[in-house]
Amino acid sequence: MMRAPTLRTSRAWAAAGLAAILLAWHVTAGYLGPLLMATPQEAVLAIGPLVESGRFYPAAATSLGRAFVGIGTGCLCGFVLGLAAAAHPRLRGALEPLRWLLMAIPSVVVVLLAMLWFGLGSSMVVFLAALMTAPGLYVNTVKGMLQVDRQLLEMTHVYRFGFWLRLRHLYIPALTAPLSAALLIAVNGGIRLVVMAEVLGADSGVGHALANARATFDSAELYAWVLLILAFVGVLELALIQPLQRTLGRWQELRDA
Amino acid sequence: MLELHGLGLRFGAHQVLEGVDLRVRAGERIGLLGPSGAGKSALLRLACGLQKPSCGTVRNGFSRTVLLFQEPRLLPWRTVGDNLALPLRAGGMAPGTAHAQALQWLERVELPAHTALAWPRELSGGMAQRAALARALAMEPDLLLLDEPFSALDPALRRRMADLCVAVLAESGAALLCVSHHPQELACMVQRCLEVRGARLRPWDAGASPFPTTAQEPTP
Repeated sequence: MMRAPTLRTSRAWAAAGLAAILLAWHVTAGYLGPLLMATPQEAVLAIGPLVESGRFYPAAATSLGRAFVGIGTGCLCGFVLGLAAAAHPRLRGALEPLRWLLMAIPSVVVVLLAMLWFGLGSSMVVFLAALMTAPGLYVNTVKGMLQVDRQLLEMTHVYRFGFWLRLRHLYIPALTAPLSAALLIAVNGGIRLVVMAEVLGADSGVGHALANARATFDSAELYAWVLLILAFVGVLELALIQPLQRTLGRWQELRDA
Repeated sequence: MLELHGLGLRFGAHQVLEGVDLRVRAGERIGLLGPSGAGKSALLRLACGLQKPSCGTVRNGFSRTVLLFQEPRLLPWRTVGDNLALPLRAGGMAPGTAHAQALQWLERVELPAHTALAWPRELSGGMAQRAALARALAMEPDLLLLDEPFSALDPALRRRMADLCVAVLAESGAALLCVSHHPQELACMVQRCLEVRGARLRPWDAGASPFPTTAQEPTP
């Protein structure tokens, strides 16, 4: 008998996957040597001095601020434009070339262009994060809106749901699955973009600190930064996005009960 | 009054309805019979504005027209109580009052009060259909359009729900247009019956009918 796919991810297998990555890292670091790659243990040990050095908090606060504004703006713009484009086919057609352009263009090209337009610093990083996260939210919002159950939509017309009631009780719940996936990708991808933009063209932030560590061949600090970024993304996913997904998708969990 | 005049509906080469004339006055209860695919449901959708006619006109003077679909169409991500309360809130009712009304209507369709906290997928087909009926009646419609409303219910419950509908409509003076495959089901609900056959609205065959009928609707 075929079993219905479960909605929950196995934590035990996730731990096994993490152990495999750490093992591969350890073996590779041993092969490359300490100048090119610190071992997981060296990287973990470098976190303490880095946090106590006084450089960590200003850099983290700068990057977090940029990520929050950039990703937030991108997600909001993508969502609102997606709602409008789903309702108006002409607008959808008009936005299609821009959507294609932004999804096809390599991020590094946009970084270079943004550096020319905005110079080095926060404006460039925020612009890049917003511009590159918006298309994902836009595409998923449009697809989700177009797949909303027509029968339920008719029901809301019969019972004269206004715009806000329809948005809150029909569209947003129906968009939970595509939007939460898009949000996860936007947050993870957005943070990567912020760090990359800071490495290439900022004089502050985590990316700038990473670039400094690379320039001084301090691979332990470099990998300590990487671990801290990964930990932050992990905490964000576990503490914010996954609980949000669970709350919005609570009605679906009956399937697993 | 609901007035359909010269109404036609065509999907490609398929003529679903043609030359339909019908008047439904306040307090009138009319049954619509006919085989599957005859266009009965399409007629209800035209009446409440969900479908645009290919030709003819629909004039609906009723202010609270409610269509009870064949399927329950409950929002799967909202509890049954929310499903009943949301249309009331859409009409401007305060959330607390709407939920209290929802509980009362659940009771009237013989669903226990704790059903309000259940998710729609936890209900059986018959329970979901009664919840949808409660949602429709809670709106206090002045024109109620029922599309095979009791198909998932057992005969005894079907009869009780039909009696409830009639009692509520009679009390408020609302009109009813009810689609069914079963003349017996309509017998206790409507004052007269019409049949959709060959894309046209015709009088129900009086000889085969166990309840009163009238001739074809007069044209204006």
